[in-house]
Amino acid sequence: MKSSLLGGVAVAASVFAAMTLGMSSSAISGERTIHIAGFGVKTGVVRSFGINTEAVLKAAVLHVNSTGGVKLADGSTGKFKLTFYDDRCKAEEGISVVRRIAGTPAVIAIGPTCSNVAEPLFGILQKKRGDASDSGLQMPIFTDTAIKGGLAKISDWAFRNVPNEANMYKALFAWLRTEHPNLKTVFGGVEQDFAHSRFTWHKVMKVAAPAAGYEVVGEAKWLLADTSFTTQVRAMKKANADIISISSHPFTTCGLLKEMKRQRVKPKIIVGLTSSSSMETLTGCGKAAEGIIIPTSFAPVTDAARFAAAKTAEQGGSTDLHSASAWENVMIIKQVIEASSVDAKADTVQADRGKIRDGLAALKTTKGLIGTIKRTAEGEADKPFVFAHAQNSQWAVLHDPAM
Amino acid sequence: MDFELYEIIQAFGDGLMKGSTYALMGIGFTLIFGVMQKINMSFAAVSISGAYASLAASILFPEVHVFVVFGASIIFSGMIGYFVYLCCFKWIPLANPLATLMATIGMLFFLEEVVVHATNGMPLPYPAMPFDEYFEFGQYSVRGDLVLIFFMCLIATAVLMYLLYRTRLGIATRAVAQQPIAARLSGISIEKTNAGTFIITGLLGGLAGAMIASTVSVLSVLFFLPVTVKGLIVAVIGGLGSIPGAIVAGLLVGGIEEVALLLRGILERDIYIMVLLFLFLTLRPGGIFSKTFQRN
Repeated sequence: MKSSLLGGVAVAASVFAAMTLGMSSSAISGERTIHIAGFGVKTGVVRSFGINTEAVLKAAVLHVNSTGGVKLADGSTGKFKLTFYDDRCKAEEGISVVRRIAGTPAVIAIGPTCSNVAEPLFGILQKKRGDASDSGLQMPIFTDTAIKGGLAKISDWAFRNVPNEANMYKALFAWLRTEHPNLKTVFGGVEQDFAHSRFTWHKVMKVAAPAAGYEVVGEAKWLLADTSFTTQVRAMKKANADIISISSHPFTTCGLLKEMKRQRVKPKIIVGLTSSSSMETLTGCGKAAEGIIIPTSFAPVTDAARFAAAKTAEQGGSTDLHSASAWENVMIIKQVIEASSVDAKADTVQADRGKIRDGLAALKTTKGLIGTIKRTAEGEADKPFVFAHAQNSQWAVLHDPAM
Repeated sequence: MDFELYEIIQAFGDGLMKGSTYALMGIGFTLIFGVMQKINMSFAAVSISGAYASLAASILFPEVHVFVVFGASIIFSGMIGYFVYLCCFKWIPLANPLATLMATIGMLFFLEEVVVHATNGMPLPYPAMPFDEYFEFGQYSVRGDLVLIFFMCLIATAVLMYLLYRTRLGIATRAVAQQPIAARLSGISIEKTNAGTFIITGLLGGLAGAMIASTVSVLSVLFFLPVTVKGLIVAVIGGLGSIPGAIVAGLLVGGIEEVALLLRGILERDIYIMVLLFLFLTLRPGGIFSKTFQRN
C-alpha cells in the first residue's frame, strides 16, 4: 500500500515537474511562434508556380528563423511557422482557403498565384480599414505572384509585391527605340483567354509601344490550350513587323516561337511576357526562344538575389520573377512585425493582423532582392527591373535601366 | 478584315492536316462505342498519358530515334488502355450505363493529375517529326511534318480497317458489336474481344497523342481536356460507331476550325464547331454517313 502510494506520488511529481520544465523552458527561451500562411496553386497546369512559391517561402522562413528570428513587442523572439495551402488557381477555392486561414492563428497570408483568384478574393476583405458596417474579412493578404494590374486598391487589407508591368514595358519599348531607331512597327500576339496575358497586351504593351513611337500593325490571338499556331503566324508573316510582342505564358509562347521558326518569320526583335522569363520557357523551347527580350523584376544579379536563389534550390524550387517576391514578402513581414509591436500571442491574433496591415500600409520603400522597392498608397509595389534575354538556353541580363 | 480566296484555301488545308489527329481521336471514341455501346471519356487522356510515358522513356534513353519514341507512345497507350478497361469496364456493372461513364470521367482526371504531379504541370519538349521542312508553292505553303503526320494517320486508319475487316480478331470485334449474344453462342469471348478493343484503341490513341505532341513539339497537361472534347465532337459528328464518319468528321472539324479562326477570330472559332455539332445532332443525329435521319 505504502509503496503504491509512493509510486503514485512519484508519477504525479514527475508529471508536474515535466509540465513545469516545459513551461519554464518556453518562458526562459522567450520564443513564440508567429504563424504565417502561404497559398497558391499546387495542382493543375500551373502547379509549378505554387511549388516554387512554397519552396521560396520555406527557404525564407528557414533563413529568418536561423538568423535570430523576429523581435516581438515584449522583447521576446518569434519564429515563423509556415503553413501552405493549395487554392487550385480557382476563385472559389482561394476564397475558401483564405476563410480557413482567417480561422487559424496566422497573422498574414501570402498569395495567391493567379489573378483570377486575387480579384474576387480581395473583394471579400473589408474594403476600408475600420469600417464597422463592412463585415469583410480583416486579414492582411500580401500577394507575391498574381500580377494583373491595379488589384490591391480593391481592399485596404490587400497588398501586393508584384512588378509594375506598365512601367516595365514603357521602359523597355523606350529603350528599344533608343537602341534601334530604325525599327518602326510592332505586331502583337496574345493568349486571349488568360487574364494576365490579355491585360498585358491590351492595356500595357499595346499602350507602351505607340507611346515609344512604334506603330502597331496588327495582332494575333490564341487560347491557352491551343496547339496549332499556323494561321496566327501566317498573319505575322504577312504583317512583316520589325518587333513581335508576345503576351502569353510559356506553353503557347513555345508553340508560337517554334511555328515562327518553321515559317521563317524573323522579326528584328521579339518581346515576351514577364511570366515567360522562367525556366519553363527555356525547358520547353530554349532554341526557339533564343534572343527573346523580357523585362523581369528578378535576376541573380546581386548577392542577395543569388543567396535567395541558392536557398530556394535547396528546398527544391526555382526563383524567378514571381516566386522571388515571396522571399521579399517574408523579409518585409519580419521588418513590419518588428516595427509594429506585434505580440504574436494566442489572444492578440486579430490585433496583430491589424498592426501588420497598418505597418504594410505605412511602408514607403522596402528592400528587394535586386534593389529598393517603392510602395504606393494603393498597396502596390514599384519594383526595380532589368531586361533579360534568352542566351544559350539561359536567361542573361541584357540591360539594367537603373545603371 | 478582308481575306483573299487563297488565304481561306490555305487555312482549310492547314486545318485538314491538323484534322487527321482529330480523326484518330474520333476513331478511338467511336470504336469503343461501336463494340461496347459505351463512351470511354478517358480515351484522350490515355493517348496523352502514353505520349508522356514515351517522353519519360526517351529521357532515360536519349539516343533513341524519334520514331522509337512514337512507337513507345503507341505501346504505352495500349497498356494504359488495357488498364482503363480493367478499372472502368471489366469490374464495373455494365448494365448501368452511368457507372462506366462516371468511371471513365474519373479515370480522365486521375490520369491528368498523375501527369500533373509527375511534371509539376510544366510543359516539356517532345520530339518533333524529323521531317520539319516547310514547302512553299507560290502563295500556298504546307508544313512537311504535318503532311507526314497526315499520311501516318491515314496508314494507321488503313491498318485498323484491315484489322477489322480482314482478320479473325476484326470479325470477332464486329460480331460482338453487332450481335453480342450470337457472338457468344459462336464461341467468341466477349471479355477478350472488349479487352482487345481497348488495347487496339489505346495503340491508335498512342499514335494520335504522339502526333499531337510532335506538331507543337511540346507536351503539356493542357492537352487532356481539349483533346477529349475535340475527339468526342468528331465521334458524334461522324456518327458514334462509324469509323469512316470519324475520319471525315476529323478532317472537316480541323478545316472549319482554321477557316473560322482566320475569318472570325479566336473567340468565335469554337462557336462554329459547336454550331456544327448542334446541326448534326439535330438534322443528322446518326452522323455523316448515316443512311437515315434517325429522327423521331
